[in-house]
Amino acid sequence: MAIQFILCFNKQGVVRLVRWFDICQVDSQKPQDMIVQIYRLISSRDHKHQSNFVEFSDSTKLVYKRYAGLYFVMGIDLQDEEPIYLSHIHLFVEVLDAFFGNVCELDIVFSFYRAYMVMDEMFIGGEVQEISKEVLLERLSILDRLN
Amino acid sequence: MMDSRKPASNGSSHNYSTTIKGLQLFIADLRSSQYSDEHEKRIQSEIVKIKQQFDSAAKKSANGKDKLGGYQRKKYIAKLAYIYVTSNTTKLNDILFGLDQMLELLASDSFSEKFMAYMTLEFLYEHAIVISKVRDKVTHQLIKDISGSNDNFVALALNFIGVAGKLDIEMSKDDNLTTEVFQILRSPTSTVYLKKKSALAFLTLLKTNPGILIDDPQRKQLWIQRILSLLDDTQNYRLMLAVLPLVEYIAKNIDLECCIRLLRQLTQILYNCVIVGTSNSEKFPSEFKFANVPNPWLITKIVSLLSILIVSPTEANNTSSAVLQSSNIDRETLGKLRMCVTKAIEVGTKSCNDPMERIVLNTILFSLINFASKLDPSPEAISNSVSALCSLLTSAEINIRYLTLDSLVKLCSISGRHAIDTVRYKNLNLIFHILDSERDSSIVRKVVDLLYTFTDSENLQIIVQKLFEYVQSSRHPTDPFIKSDIAVKIAILSEKFAIDAHWYINVSLNLLSLTSNSTLNDDEIWQRLCQIVVNNTSLHQITCEHLVDYLRETHTSEAIVKTGAFLLGEYANLVFEKASVGELFNLFTDKYFTTSNVTRAMILTTIVKLYRFSTAIESVVIKFFQIELNSLDIELQTRSFEYLNFVQLSKLNGNTKLLDVLFSPMPPFNTRSNPLLKRLGSLPSSGYSSTFSESIGSLHGDKDRSTTPPTSFSQASGRPAPPRSRGTKSASINTLASEPMLSSGWEEGFSRMLSHRKGILYTSGFLRVIYRITNPETENLTRLKISLTFINQSELKINGLSTEINAIRTADNPEYVLRNIEPPSSIDVNPRGRSEQSFEVIVRKTFSVIDSPTVKVYFSCGGSTNSIVLKAAIGVTSTITSSAAAKNTISLPQFVTRWKTLREALGDDGEYILEKIQLRRKKSGNPDGEYLRSIYQCISRMGFNIVEQTSVNNTLFIAGIIHTKSEGSFGCLIKLKYDEPKREVSLTCRTTSNGSLAQNISECLKYAISN
Repeated sequence: MAIQFILCFNKQGVVRLVRWFDICQVDSQKPQDMIVQIYRLISSRDHKHQSNFVEFSDSTKLVYKRYAGLYFVMGIDLQDEEPIYLSHIHLFVEVLDAFFGNVCELDIVFSFYRAYMVMDEMFIGGEVQEISKEVLLERLSILDRLN
Repeated sequence: MMDSRKPASNGSSHNYSTTIKGLQLFIADLRSSQYSDEHEKRIQSEIVKIKQQFDSAAKKSANGKDKLGGYQRKKYIAKLAYIYVTSNTTKLNDILFGLDQMLELLASDSFSEKFMAYMTLEFLYEHAIVISKVRDKVTHQLIKDISGSNDNFVALALNFIGVAGKLDIEMSKDDNLTTEVFQILRSPTSTVYLKKKSALAFLTLLKTNPGILIDDPQRKQLWIQRILSLLDDTQNYRLMLAVLPLVEYIAKNIDLECCIRLLRQLTQILYNCVIVGTSNSEKFPSEFKFANVPNPWLITKIVSLLSILIVSPTEANNTSSAVLQSSNIDRETLGKLRMCVTKAIEVGTKSCNDPMERIVLNTILFSLINFASKLDPSPEAISNSVSALCSLLTSAEINIRYLTLDSLVKLCSISGRHAIDTVRYKNLNLIFHILDSERDSSIVRKVVDLLYTFTDSENLQIIVQKLFEYVQSSRHPTDPFIKSDIAVKIAILSEKFAIDAHWYINVSLNLLSLTSNSTLNDDEIWQRLCQIVVNNTSLHQITCEHLVDYLRETHTSEAIVKTGAFLLGEYANLVFEKASVGELFNLFTDKYFTTSNVTRAMILTTIVKLYRFSTAIESVVIKFFQIELNSLDIELQTRSFEYLNFVQLSKLNGNTKLLDVLFSPMPPFNTRSNPLLKRLGSLPSSGYSSTFSESIGSLHGDKDRSTTPPTSFSQASGRPAPPRSRGTKSASINTLASEPMLSSGWEEGFSRMLSHRKGILYTSGFLRVIYRITNPETENLTRLKISLTFINQSELKINGLSTEINAIRTADNPEYVLRNIEPPSSIDVNPRGRSEQSFEVIVRKTFSVIDSPTVKVYFSCGGSTNSIVLKAAIGVTSTITSSAAAKNTISLPQFVTRWKTLREALGDDGEYILEKIQLRRKKSGNPDGEYLRSIYQCISRMGFNIVEQTSVNNTLFIAGIIHTKSEGSFGCLIKLKYDEPKREVSLTCRTTSNGSLAQNISECLKYAISN
């Protein structure tokens, strides 16, 4: 039970955030090729009439959600239960939103290292480590001001 | 949120000290030239510039002074990181020159600089080349940061381990590093913030190298205890969230038993979340709620851990360490867990408008429903859960439909019959409707999985028909994976459950004819069909006739051509009335040029075989092979050349003797198991699959038919089931004969077990079961350890040996309890090999021997699935004091005095009389007196004292002490009379208890001596 990877890309398939927690499990494919396949799979799916879950390979299924022009994707083990990861994504986006102040794709482009700071405060080793938005934001604002 | 229309003013409006102006400008530059050559030039010029800066910095720092400065260094590294990220890692080699400066930055005392270095290295650790260059220095810095006093640096280092720990296996083998990480986790002075991070960083290291704990038993015990104690504060939800995954990993992969003690604790936490948290009380802190619902993260993690600690009865047979079953969980805990499930169903199925709250409630619902099957739910509870779930199938939310189906698949696979019946009898049409109307292939896949779990011979035809309709319908988007998946499942289900052989052949051929144009790899499907047809003579002709029809069509799928090429090559003679050899030859040569080389090679062989059936086609055959001598494909050319020679040689000899030898009929196939089963992917094994024998094995009809289900394919082909291999002789004991499932021959071992501490419990052509009863504690006679040894008696390997050992009662203050049930030591047993297992019985109260534990043994051997159901005889007499010293200490007068005392004290209540026990044992040539002698020995072996006397003939005076754990010890006296002419025994038993003890003892004696 763990996140294998976190991915964020826009509608054109340009990767904005990527974090591999478990690269060995993810077949023998090159990560870049996998990202392309994931993008193709997810962008081909109907936003309105299809679920947020799709099986990707013999070891991985994807939980994803689109927020405006950005897709947030998590790769998880087949035996994992999907819905909690949807909450993971939602919380992550909420924290990004509050941290950047109405976040948009460009925030993530220009301040990519701060977006990764958010990610690191939330996820370690494929597990969520903190789920209180207040605690996260307080912590992040301290780190953000440190020289 | 995620507003894409926000003006693009350099992204963030923040202006903290961390904003790096040069980086922002660089990114803006790159974005403005996104699609032109300028873009690449801009990157290259920046790389050149950074390289110059780094080079001169390296020279200067050799002089001892750092002229570059931390801020500049951070800025350049950030630019390199951006280049790496936006180039989608393709520019790795262009930025490797910066590694030295990254290490420099890593050693900085400034947080933002150190952060930038760690973050960049987190990306680059994906590449082995980077790791090999910087590993030593990075590890050194990690240890320095973790052991230092700056908590923010410790946090950065732990984050890094959490990301990169899995990418560099050496990191987890560094003992200093792992110890430092663990120190933070265990130290009482660490902040919760760091403990959380260290728990997950440690988990990452442990996942990469479990040897951290396994290799050192002392450390393993110590560290695990430390880790588990972190959960002791059941209110510290924040820490718990990070520690639970670590504990789960330990329970799953390192040491399950040490985690068992957490059960009550975890249950309490779950109870607090689910029951207290969903009531309106303020007791559950609101900061741990998400979307107004108690922390779904905590709930799913606890349930996930509990699912590992508790195994369901079905799993208990398969897992190697069946530790906790619902039967040995205390009632309070079990009650709380069940309450949580009920509550989750209640709140999860009620309507609510907020979509986020909805998904959270459903998270909890599905998590707990999937867990519920471990709690030994009643049939009603299962049925209610399934009904609640089915009501969600019509939900407007796509995700909920998906998750509901997923949950149903799990429930049906684990909970079996009751769940399945609720779905198939009440909701089948709804499921067909979803299959028909759903547009999401993820959901369709789950529907197909669900149908698969509950298909049996009864609903096979309708389900297969619906699946066919789906595959053929043009309304559905072509998803080749789904179609392939469905085809495989149709093939498996038809083979497994078809009652009508003709229907099976029709379906299989129809399936093969369908899959022509897809990318489907259907080789396994047609090959499997060929195996079954070859092994069943009655199918030869009908299959071949159908194949001719298919081949006569203009468009024939390649799979059909292959099947036809193989089967008609074998059995062309059976269709002569329908198609002559000449026509068959033409059919195949027509198809020849439209098929792949593999199929062509098969057709070449078919042509030689056809020639065997009728040499009249000689000239066309020779002509055909001659043409193919020019084939570009080496295999086709070789075959044509060889076959041409065969045919010409036959022509020369004037007979087909050589060909008859070379192409003699195919022997039956030995592949027992269906290779298609491997292609089920993630689908949990079907609730039915284990109970049905592999049909191809039973096609031969030479196995013990008592274990073959009535739906087995072999009966469809008209072969009557052979009689049971053994006569049932259990009729003599009516009480037990009413339990239909006991295997014939059980009784002999059962009786033996009452009089012998070890011996044979059961034996058949396949398997012999040997038992041994011991007392693990010499002082505690109510604790019995039963060891079973399974010996393979057959010439074939036994696979999948598993057992199920059940007490007659587990709840309501049971008479005895089973403990420490170890699974069989190996599940595969070679001929004459053995597998062992043990379990313990604690005798708590007096009980009837009829209620002894049942032992079910499952195994497959030579393709047939077998199950044996036995009773392991444990009676009250199994606890008798059997110390040799205590024997013979009672004299006849003493016996008589006690006998009278008992009568006076308890009257009829303590007495039981059993008459006319027939002795069945017949040993020819033994004088009658030997019977009494053997009864004497038998009773003595049971542990009773027998008064040594000669004054009363044909009577035994017996005494013993029965022990129970809850009710204490009881004395008993027995007077046993042997009626020599009638060869009957009658006995009178008196005990110091006025309950059923006397009767229970008498029954034990009856079983022991009558057999």
